[in-house]
Amino acid sequence: MTEAVRAVNLSKTYGTGTAQVKALDDVSLTLAHGTVAALLGPSGSGKSTLIKALGFVSPADTGEVFFEGRSVVKDGRALEDLARLRRRHLGFVFQKANLTSFLTARENVEIACEFGGKVDGRRRARELLQYLDVGGREASYPETLSGGEQQRVAIARALANEPSLILADEPTAALDSVRSRTVMELFRTVAHERGAAVLVVTHDHRALDVFDVLYEMEDGRLRPYEAAHVG
Amino acid sequence: MNLAIRDIRRHGARFLGTAVGVGLLLSVVIAMQGIYAGMVDDATSLTRAMHADIWVVQRDTRGPFAESSRVDPSVEARAAAVAGVRSARPYTYQLIQRDHGENVLRIALVGLGWPDDPGRALPLVAGRRLAQPHGEMIADTSMGLAIGEEVTLAGENYRVVGLTKNALTSGGDSVAFMTAADTQLVLLDQPAEATVLERQRVLERLRGTEIGRSQPALEDLTTDPRWRAPALAAPPVAAVLLEVDPHRIEQVRETLAGWGDVTSYTQDEEEELLLGGVVQRARLQIGLFTIILTVTAAVIVTMIIYNLTLEKTHDLAVLKLMGAPRSRMLGLVLQQAWLLGVAGYAVALVIGELAFPAFPRRVLITPSISMLAPLATMIVVTLASLLGLGHVMRIDPARALEG
Repeated sequence: MTEAVRAVNLSKTYGTGTAQVKALDDVSLTLAHGTVAALLGPSGSGKSTLIKALGFVSPADTGEVFFEGRSVVKDGRALEDLARLRRRHLGFVFQKANLTSFLTARENVEIACEFGGKVDGRRRARELLQYLDVGGREASYPETLSGGEQQRVAIARALANEPSLILADEPTAALDSVRSRTVMELFRTVAHERGAAVLVVTHDHRALDVFDVLYEMEDGRLRPYEAAHVG
Repeated sequence: MNLAIRDIRRHGARFLGTAVGVGLLLSVVIAMQGIYAGMVDDATSLTRAMHADIWVVQRDTRGPFAESSRVDPSVEARAAAVAGVRSARPYTYQLIQRDHGENVLRIALVGLGWPDDPGRALPLVAGRRLAQPHGEMIADTSMGLAIGEEVTLAGENYRVVGLTKNALTSGGDSVAFMTAADTQLVLLDQPAEATVLERQRVLERLRGTEIGRSQPALEDLTTDPRWRAPALAAPPVAAVLLEVDPHRIEQVRETLAGWGDVTSYTQDEEEELLLGGVVQRARLQIGLFTIILTVTAAVIVTMIIYNLTLEKTHDLAVLKLMGAPRSRMLGLVLQQAWLLGVAGYAVALVIGELAFPAFPRRVLITPSISMLAPLATMIVVTLASLLGLGHVMRIDPARALEG
């Protein structure tokens, strides 16, 4: 499997003096296409900071991030147009669905297709919504969808540009256990069927068997999650 | 996909309400500009309607509008005899206020030099010009009088025979045109008691003179109701209007300058006197008020657009995280501001169409206002959106990840 994203020696510090917090401490990570990985750890351990760095939203102070083999960010400096990279190759899923409130379910997906330069975005949006079993709600606005439906639409939106990398930040936090597992399984399907690399930040230990790789963060350091922890 | 239109579609009622608010603001700004233009036009339309090349007024005054002017009626005949003068006619001007039915009529009475001038230069919208020397008037439609209706002035009935539109003074009062002799009748009208007292004063003065004492029969004259006191004969007029051969205007003015009792002004100079004197302060005040209103409207529209943008901060952060091109993000705010400007201006037009005719002062929407108002509206909403655009630029996409 080819490498989707590779982070090398990422470090990031917030604050100064005695209030200084090291959010990332020499973190290195590689995610291959077709892999679904989980990132665990307590609050404040640096998970979201790592997601931001890998998603080219907020770069680390030092270290380098490679995307599909080419260096994109080095020591906090962008070497490419990061917004363009995000709209063409990345998909995001959030704790709350974060759908655009004034767009219907279909339009939320269609706009991501447009940003990603996909032709016939409407047809593609419909297909994705049907693939995620919310085809019947395409004309509904986000506020009229259930939490599970919103998250499915959000996943459809993340898939709209056929991303190489999907970053999900606690996507099941607002869902019950049954729906959580369904969403996690969706990520695995997406990774395995569509060849995307998926990194999911989660606190939910009940569905860890879904993931191919498990990581854990503590005090800004990344390490493989102990297999013994998996229930 | 147009995000601005999608947002408006989703929040249609709120957008409509905002557009109505902006429209009301714009209508007030346009009304002020229209009142300003109307004031200037009113000030000059009356002088233009008289079609005079030269206004002859009392010496060293700026009459008859900027200040009162009293010209001896002999000036009319003297001026008519000057080489180059085609015609000379008297002009009187006075403001009166009378009850008419249940209404109060405030009228600027302008005297026409009958029979030479029956009102031939007046732009009539109904009826005809004056056809007899007494008892007829041409009124402005703003007075609310109909053709054939009669108005009682100084005990005499005057029939409305013609109607003008927008014949107003610089103060916004409606103008009625009568023969100069009729306006003098109205001007010199006085109660019977005042006439008796005046006769008594004449009698007292007569008895104090040698001729009065030597010819007692003269006293009988003062009590004869057919007798008019010599002091009241040939009352002065406000001005004498001259029509002159175009190439001899300066020559005529040089002649008039040699007369000790009059000063002459060309049509343009008379207009300048009006605009620079009578309406100057009102113009400045309304002009300043218009500027303050425009700035206030711009600030309010700025805050409306900024708040509309602030409300979408999270949505915009999500779109930014998804890598939305900068042009799409800025376009959302800018296009929404433009649509707000267009909708607001449309509302202002409707309000203007319905409300401006009912304003007590004339609201004149000149071609320049018609052209500049929408342009200015679009410039204002574009500038007003700058604050919102700045906010869009500053939104951190990481905010979308913070839930």
